[in-house]
Amino acid sequence: MKKISYILTITIALLTIVSCEDIVDGINDNPNDIIVSDVEAQLFLTGSMLANVQINCGHLNRISGMYSGQLIGFSSLYSNIYGFNLSTAESNGEWNAIYVGVLTNTNHIINNSSNQLLIGIAKVVQAHAFGTAASLFGDVPYSEAGNPAISDPVFDPQIAVYTSAIALLDDAISTLSSANAASIPEDIFYGGDKNKWIAAANTLKARFYLHQKNYPSALTAAQSGIASASGDMKYQPLANPETDNNNLFWTILEGARAGDIGNNSGGSESYLLQILDNSNILSRNHAKTNETARRGYYTIDSSSGSANDGIIAELEPQNMVTYFENQLIMAEAAARAGTVSDGLPYLNAVRAWMNTGAHLNSNYQGMPYLYDPFVVTDFDASGIENQDNIDPKTAFLREVIEERYVSGFGMHMPYNDARRLRKTDGAFAVPFFLQDGPAPPYPERMPYSTTELNSNSNAPSDDPGIFVKTSVNQ
Amino acid sequence: MNKKLFYLMLVFLFSSAITFAQKTVTGTVSDNNGAPLPGATVIVENTTQGVSTDFDGNFEISVAEGAVLVVSYVGYKTTKVKVGVQNNYSIALELDNALEAVVVTALGFTVNRDEQGSTSSVVQTEQVVRSGEATIANALSGKASGVTITRSNGDPGAGSAIRIRGANTISGASDPLIIVDGVPLNNTTSYAGGNGLSGGREGGTTQGSRLNDINPADIASITVLKGASAAAIWGSRASNGVVVITTKKGQSGQAKITYSSTYSFDEVSEKIPMQNTWGRGLSGNPALGTSTTAESWGDYIPDRAGGADAFDTSGGFFTAADGTVYYPITAKNSKETFVDSNWDSVFQTGDFFQNDLTISGGSENNTYFFSLSNLQQKGIIRESDYDRTNMRLNYNAKLNNIISFSAKTSYTYTDSNRIQQSSNLGGVMLGLLRTSPDFDNRDYIGTYTSSSGEEFTRRQRSYRRQLGNSSNPSYNNPLWTINEQVARTIVNRFTMTPELTIKPTNWLQVITRANADVSDDRRIYFFPIGSAGNQRLIGAYQEDEIATRDLNLDILGRANLDLTDDLNLTATLGWNLNDRKYNRNSGLITGFLVNSTKQTTSLNTSAEASTFDGFKTNRRSNRGYAVLGFDYADELFVNLSGGLEASSTVNGSFFYPAVDVAWDFTKTALKSDVLSFGKIRASWGQVGVQPGPHNFETLAEGGFGYSTYSDGISIDAFGGGFRLDNNLGNPNLKPEIKTEWEIGTDLRFFEDNLSFGITYYNNKIEDILLNVSLSPSSGFATQYGNFGAMENKGLEIDLGWKAVSNEDLNISATLNWSKNDNKVTDLFGTESISLSPGASVSSRAVVGYPLGVLFGTGSQKNPDGSFLLDANGFPQITSRPEVLGDPNPDWRGGLGIDVSYKKFNLNVVVEHSQGGDFSPRTLWVLNRFGTTQETANRMTLSQDLVNYAGNTIPSGTTVRGNIKDFGGGPVLLDESWYRTGIGGGFGDNQAYNFSLFDATFTKVRELSLSYTLDLPWLKNKIGLRNIIFTATGRNLININNIPGIDPEVNQYGVGNALGLDYFTNPQTKSILFKVVFNY
Repeated sequence: MKKISYILTITIALLTIVSCEDIVDGINDNPNDIIVSDVEAQLFLTGSMLANVQINCGHLNRISGMYSGQLIGFSSLYSNIYGFNLSTAESNGEWNAIYVGVLTNTNHIINNSSNQLLIGIAKVVQAHAFGTAASLFGDVPYSEAGNPAISDPVFDPQIAVYTSAIALLDDAISTLSSANAASIPEDIFYGGDKNKWIAAANTLKARFYLHQKNYPSALTAAQSGIASASGDMKYQPLANPETDNNNLFWTILEGARAGDIGNNSGGSESYLLQILDNSNILSRNHAKTNETARRGYYTIDSSSGSANDGIIAELEPQNMVTYFENQLIMAEAAARAGTVSDGLPYLNAVRAWMNTGAHLNSNYQGMPYLYDPFVVTDFDASGIENQDNIDPKTAFLREVIEERYVSGFGMHMPYNDARRLRKTDGAFAVPFFLQDGPAPPYPERMPYSTTELNSNSNAPSDDPGIFVKTSVNQ
Repeated sequence: MNKKLFYLMLVFLFSSAITFAQKTVTGTVSDNNGAPLPGATVIVENTTQGVSTDFDGNFEISVAEGAVLVVSYVGYKTTKVKVGVQNNYSIALELDNALEAVVVTALGFTVNRDEQGSTSSVVQTEQVVRSGEATIANALSGKASGVTITRSNGDPGAGSAIRIRGANTISGASDPLIIVDGVPLNNTTSYAGGNGLSGGREGGTTQGSRLNDINPADIASITVLKGASAAAIWGSRASNGVVVITTKKGQSGQAKITYSSTYSFDEVSEKIPMQNTWGRGLSGNPALGTSTTAESWGDYIPDRAGGADAFDTSGGFFTAADGTVYYPITAKNSKETFVDSNWDSVFQTGDFFQNDLTISGGSENNTYFFSLSNLQQKGIIRESDYDRTNMRLNYNAKLNNIISFSAKTSYTYTDSNRIQQSSNLGGVMLGLLRTSPDFDNRDYIGTYTSSSGEEFTRRQRSYRRQLGNSSNPSYNNPLWTINEQVARTIVNRFTMTPELTIKPTNWLQVITRANADVSDDRRIYFFPIGSAGNQRLIGAYQEDEIATRDLNLDILGRANLDLTDDLNLTATLGWNLNDRKYNRNSGLITGFLVNSTKQTTSLNTSAEASTFDGFKTNRRSNRGYAVLGFDYADELFVNLSGGLEASSTVNGSFFYPAVDVAWDFTKTALKSDVLSFGKIRASWGQVGVQPGPHNFETLAEGGFGYSTYSDGISIDAFGGGFRLDNNLGNPNLKPEIKTEWEIGTDLRFFEDNLSFGITYYNNKIEDILLNVSLSPSSGFATQYGNFGAMENKGLEIDLGWKAVSNEDLNISATLNWSKNDNKVTDLFGTESISLSPGASVSSRAVVGYPLGVLFGTGSQKNPDGSFLLDANGFPQITSRPEVLGDPNPDWRGGLGIDVSYKKFNLNVVVEHSQGGDFSPRTLWVLNRFGTTQETANRMTLSQDLVNYAGNTIPSGTTVRGNIKDFGGGPVLLDESWYRTGIGGGFGDNQAYNFSLFDATFTKVRELSLSYTLDLPWLKNKIGLRNIIFTATGRNLININNIPGIDPEVNQYGVGNALGLDYFTNPQTKSILFKVVFNY
């Protein structure tokens, strides 16, 4: 039995000694990816901006375009969606961009960088994404979001998210104001120009106040907003041999989705194109306005991306936060608080800018366009913008909203306005319809993503549906 | 062994005082493949004097010259050896019958199967070699209960998935651990570089598995250890079972030389029935001119005028390589169709030619086994090939009575060209099967001359770009895929296993066994300008260099101890260190400046054109283990084993225990003339799956992009940058643990002529490692962790029957049958996990269902199970995907029959798989394209019928379509159903429940006849012992329910996704001729 005790002793000794973990320690450190703390915070900026581009200019933007009479879904998935068959899966990409793309990475910058300029920019990007999220979906997770310790963040009320986004913009503005001027090459929008960021933050504030129908605050914010088109925030495609850096609309038509979506086909045109058509009964052209060039610029050839040289050309920038939006917010808010003459200068500023052809690209600047300044009397009964003899201020607001509708093509703005004005301000809302599409009621929100609904126990068990009005549009 | 003998043996072994005044002879007892037989009995005839062999089959006995030694071992023919002047004897025992008698344990020791409490199957090496399969995995098909081999496809050198007792894990593969000569073999199937260019798992080229590198001719034995208890010694790598392979060892004596040569003819096993009566076009109208129409729903070809088509010669044209000029067709007159010639331009009779040379022999203390083998295979798809060269040298040396060592070295070289397949713009089957019957694929390359006279060379012509008038072909002509594109993989692999054995006393041995397994896999992908696909279009050339290096070290001691007279203990104690490294480097050039087919980085030398990336993994484990084997009175056997393991991928150490018990109740408890042997056995054990490497931390990730719907933008195109990895790190990873118990019995009747074994097993797999989706709002998309649970239970039956056994005639049969029920029991809140990303009908893990269920949109049903029909009598698709079917078979069985009459030997292996579902989405999609026979039916209606579009087609109309009754009366399935409706096509909006077929199949895996020529003059004149001629038919008979598709193909290759086909390259059937010369 002595041998047995040897064996047992050796067994125990061996098992305890040789299986020690020291031999395997450190092996599992990932040899491929870089440790987060080794990466300069500013290298996280571009990725979060690209995610924000998708939130504002991607799939849901094309859908919001369809739901506001700007685009038409012709076939495959987009024709289903045009017919209001919108599944929760369609929000997966944006939802991922909002949380995984923007929130996690901007938080990382905010918490880890000592560069005030960078932090300020990250805050604006985050606020931009969440204001957009609140506008599209209604209640969304924010206060508990972006914290891996909380696996099921609660959904905050839409208004609370707007409030937080505006507070974050205020915070960003003060951070940026105190920051030293510098250039940040990773900033694909402004290259680190802090004044442009401050202006854009103010315009975003104005936008989010406008969504909440807080017109006085919108006006105040916009007064510090983007003051010239050189301050516009745009997604700028790049002209290098790489793929995956082109105009997003061009990309989908250039790939397998050719023919699926556009704004005209076989004689059918979206409401937007119709009102730009001089020969159409709905035309908005008159003695002071000629939209021929803009109509050409806006017309999409959906047979392929490369058939286009207008608004969806391969390298055509896509608007995100712009001068004209800022001016038109002021036009609306000032007129609401006062009179037509309070709002008119802002509208005319936009028209003056357009009258230089700056809203077109060079392929269309040779075509006719005209945006003569309006005068107050143009909105009086029988005036050029009040042929139906309505209240002059209503006539003015109607023109401002229509200008937002037309200029905002490619942004969420027309869809947001449609929902904002549909009920209370129907008198000057754009009376669009969905060409060859369903009749009203029109969708009021985008569905939550399948990924969130499936994984978050605090998410509603089913999406409320696209016809439920969000809090601000009740 | 009877009890008396056992006592005697003990007396001899352990009473060193007893000596005999006779001479001492030594010897080795092995099986006929050279594997040592420990515990074999050596008795001096007509005496009670005897010994048993040690671990290496060695014995030593004192005996008088002229005495006869009777050597016996269970399952082998007893052999008598007369002791002469010689003092050393090598005794090879021949297998007594087809019954499997010895098994090799997970540590490489040979043990008597009758003394094991856990189940295992032994696959005879002859069967492996005879099967005519070029790779070992496929050779195992149908030969062991509970072992399922799923082939990826019939490509030469393609990998196969081996599954033991069903699925054992979810996200990883269920392939078993392969132990060769006591050390784990690197058996990964790397889909590395599976990017948009080279194609990934769902569509790209088939990849081989590293198991294919083994030469079947080198194998002495294959033992499949199915249960957890037998495998537990390998801890976290053993959850899927263990396949133990022993390579051959030389035997002392005159050199034995064997030379064999095999030639095989391979054909496509099945051909999809294609139509040749309807031309390219839509709605009955022909597609003309430069139309890019993809479908064959055009005009009725027999109704055409005949003669040549009319052309428009005024504009652009295409000039083929042979000078043939093609113009746009303005009217289709020709009745000629090309279904067969298009097929034959892609497929051929494949072949392989294999030559094997083995030489073995040695002196008393030094033995060697040497082999050289070359296989040259041409696939059934033209231009696919596989060339493999193997070399091996196994050397054993005995320095003295205490020290011996061995070294086993092997080298493998493989070189293979693979053809792009499956879901892939360049997939060969996709291009071939979608081609309209009235288009001839053969002039696929040439020059396009535009209407302005500009020439474009090396343009691709396909049925949708009939003039090559676009630089983008959309999809490849299949001949472009096979002739212009290259996907070559070249592997160099070395393994070396040195082993040192020290035996300080007769009851103890200490073995030090090391292993280095090094491979280098170089893959070349070449797509000349004009190949279909995003990056391929502008020309792409990629090289992947995948280097792996596995090191393994075992130091183990083994002691044989007699605790009491009746109780014997074999104790094994060991330490194992295993370190595995993987390193891939990939370089890519896109956008060739020169339209050339030369594979060189000079095709574009600008810095922006080239990219470089790499991927590395390293894992190491460190394990102490012990096995205590108790043997009470040679009738009760208890094995206890345990391993304590620390692994780099796991947080902390884990202990893997196992126990098994076997009782031979015919030894004393029951004596019967009918029952010659009876054993009941039970075992319990825990084994695991190691987490994937490098998942502890959340890191900074580059190379990502954001896409919301076909509109991707990527960070790399904007100057590069990082994000926090969207996969959240998990520092608390544990191994996945499978706990299994099993119970069974092995019985043999009528002097072992009939054997029967049955096993029931039941396992629970917990902490299954998965990538689960997180709430995106938590800031991360996925996390890898222990997030699942699953269970399996099953029954395995093995029958063996030696029907006739006499001098001239031997007939035996074996039958194996197995059934496995799997259920996914928990996914921690995740609804389902796709095992087949990118598929519209996916193979998924869904709680409450077996792993791998087929999942997709189906048809709405009424509560009574009938279809909820629309107003026209057609089904309506469900709003969400649902479980459509289960690809796992109800049961599987294998039958083997072996008849030998004099010098003839006939062998039959039949495999049957019963039940299960299969979704051949190839057929589904082809119905949309209108190229299948199913869509070609032409008939005149005898009643008014409604089609899917809601139109009533009046009686008397001649239509293309089929009549079907979904429950609401007959309706017409025509173009509106197949092409534009829910009865054929892509995406989620399809009634995929109709895509399912019953996956039952029966295959005659093997039918072989051999003749042994051993004329005396051969031996005398040229020293040839014999020549064996064999003719084998492999998979010649193949019965299944799916038109033209073999339910054994697997779009997703080696992995857990099952039951899917999507333009996957087909399987093969073969006839082989082999001749073996034995010197």
